[in-house]
Amino acid sequence: MTTMGLQLTNVSKYYGEGSTRVCALENVSITVEPGEFVAVVGPSGSGKSSFLSIAGALLKASEGEVTLNGLPLSKLSDKELSSIRLQEIGFIMQSSNLVPYLQVLDQLLVVKKMAGKISAEDKAYAVKLLEELGLGAKLKSFPEELSGGEKQRVAIARALMNHPNVILADEPTASLDTKRAHEVVSLIANQVKTRRIAAVMVTHDERMLEYCDKVYHMEDGKLQLTKQVHLAH
Amino acid sequence: MFLAMKEILHSKMRFSMIVIIFVMMAWLVFILSGLGNGLSSLAASAFKNMKADYVVFEQGAQSSMSKSLLSEQLVGEAEKLPNVLAAAPMGSTMATALKGDSTNNDDKVDIAILGILPGSFLEPAVIQGDPLSNENLTAVIVNDSMKDEGFQLGDTFKLDGSTVALTIIGFVEDQTYNHLPAVFIPMPEWREIAFAAPGSDKGIEGPVNAIMLQGSDIDPDTISSKLTNTDTVTRAKAVQGMPGYKEESGTILMMLAFLFVISAFVLGVFFFVMTMQKTNQFGIMKAIGAKNGFLSRAIVSQVFVLSLVSIVIGVLLAYGTAAIMPKGMPFMLDTKLVIVYSIVLLMIAVLSSLVSVRKITKIDPLQALGRVE
Repeated sequence: MTTMGLQLTNVSKYYGEGSTRVCALENVSITVEPGEFVAVVGPSGSGKSSFLSIAGALLKASEGEVTLNGLPLSKLSDKELSSIRLQEIGFIMQSSNLVPYLQVLDQLLVVKKMAGKISAEDKAYAVKLLEELGLGAKLKSFPEELSGGEKQRVAIARALMNHPNVILADEPTASLDTKRAHEVVSLIANQVKTRRIAAVMVTHDERMLEYCDKVYHMEDGKLQLTKQVHLAH
Repeated sequence: MFLAMKEILHSKMRFSMIVIIFVMMAWLVFILSGLGNGLSSLAASAFKNMKADYVVFEQGAQSSMSKSLLSEQLVGEAEKLPNVLAAAPMGSTMATALKGDSTNNDDKVDIAILGILPGSFLEPAVIQGDPLSNENLTAVIVNDSMKDEGFQLGDTFKLDGSTVALTIIGFVEDQTYNHLPAVFIPMPEWREIAFAAPGSDKGIEGPVNAIMLQGSDIDPDTISSKLTNTDTVTRAKAVQGMPGYKEESGTILMMLAFLFVISAFVLGVFFFVMTMQKTNQFGIMKAIGAKNGFLSRAIVSQVFVLSLVSIVIGVLLAYGTAAIMPKGMPFMLDTKLVIVYSIVLLMIAVLSSLVSVRKITKIDPLQALGRVE
């Protein structure tokens, strides 16, 4: 039974119609189990973004099925998809993409606010998360006062706020220097292991692959497994 | 509310500029409404404050006192008609009061002379002095604004172009007519003044300008058909028939209406531009799971808070303006109107933000990933 985690089965994605039809993804199948950290590398234009968007319930596949924790996504309405994104998926985006007018702690709380009310527990959890990620002293800072690495760590905390089952990271190290990049990716790897989350990271950065359990290569919409580390347990 | 307030507190500068613009517009709305209200009360407060419900004019008078001439005999007939509780005649004429024998410019004051029967329901209550009497026909009660012109209780003034001298025996308040202070005078003396020229009464016996009726559920058509050559209208319509009244209040109303339309556009565009700038942010929030409702509520509540603050400041400024306006200025804030216009402004602001809400629902969360293929 491998219904937990994230599963894509024969997913294809086309853009346009007729002669202008472009195939962004072709028969992509992948299973990411809880606690597994998977990297997808490939040149730009290879379909990585489409892949991540479809896995993240932002885009519907033209063919095939995406299953999240055993729940097929193709039949869901837009509203249900946005609930799935809120409850099940944590996004870590290219340039952190924090809300500019919210303090670090509020960045996390707004996620709870989207789902309804903020409880005292949520607040305590948010503080704990931020402390774990070394941001205990920055709770009241605005994004403009943070360094790139700190911003990215806030984004990681935000992604973890709703206890997601899946984490999707889109070039999380794009704007960071090597030291910070290692910091950030090892943090993600760490959280993925301890919280048993299925994680996918799209990256250009070959240096970061050492943290991943599996590495897939994507080219012209096709996905290929290129490296597999046996899980150490 | 969460996002709305956090953002307002973070970008105080940007939001205070919007508030300033909104305050100015609200202020202007209230000032215009105060002026309109002041002018219309100056034009017709004597009419508006009368305890009459209907007015009988001569047929073809277009609800205007100055175009109407009736015989006092009709008063008795009117009283007998169904639903009519009381009827009283009234006459009006414009004149100039001369203080003593002075020839100074300042000592000539335009007045509106209103002829009524002493003791009838048309006579306003005096706030100082005595009411009109049938014995002393040259004793008059006048609006208290004449005090500002230097007239006092017991003063006698002459009318320009006439030998008549009138004595002030009482003051009344809020009685102006055609923008002029009203002077209430017993009917017989009014006739002396109004029809001083032989033949100007067209030979009518006991001429009056109009007959005011008291009573509810009066059918104007019935009255008009029972009394020959008459035209009966409600008091409100008679006010509209005063010379210049419709034009004056129409001008103010038109300015207000345009102001409302302009506010709607200005605010709508402001909120829209602000929303456009935040497209990316909203996209991110949508990507991490925010529903349209959550973001729309953030926008609308933000607009609501900004509008409320602006309108409250606007109201305070308007009342502040009223306090420092010179006394002669026809400026009168009507609490009821202020509340109505506040609500209208609030609704306009919130409605204009709906354009932005529509924009939000169309934002594609894919944009948040920074690259759409």
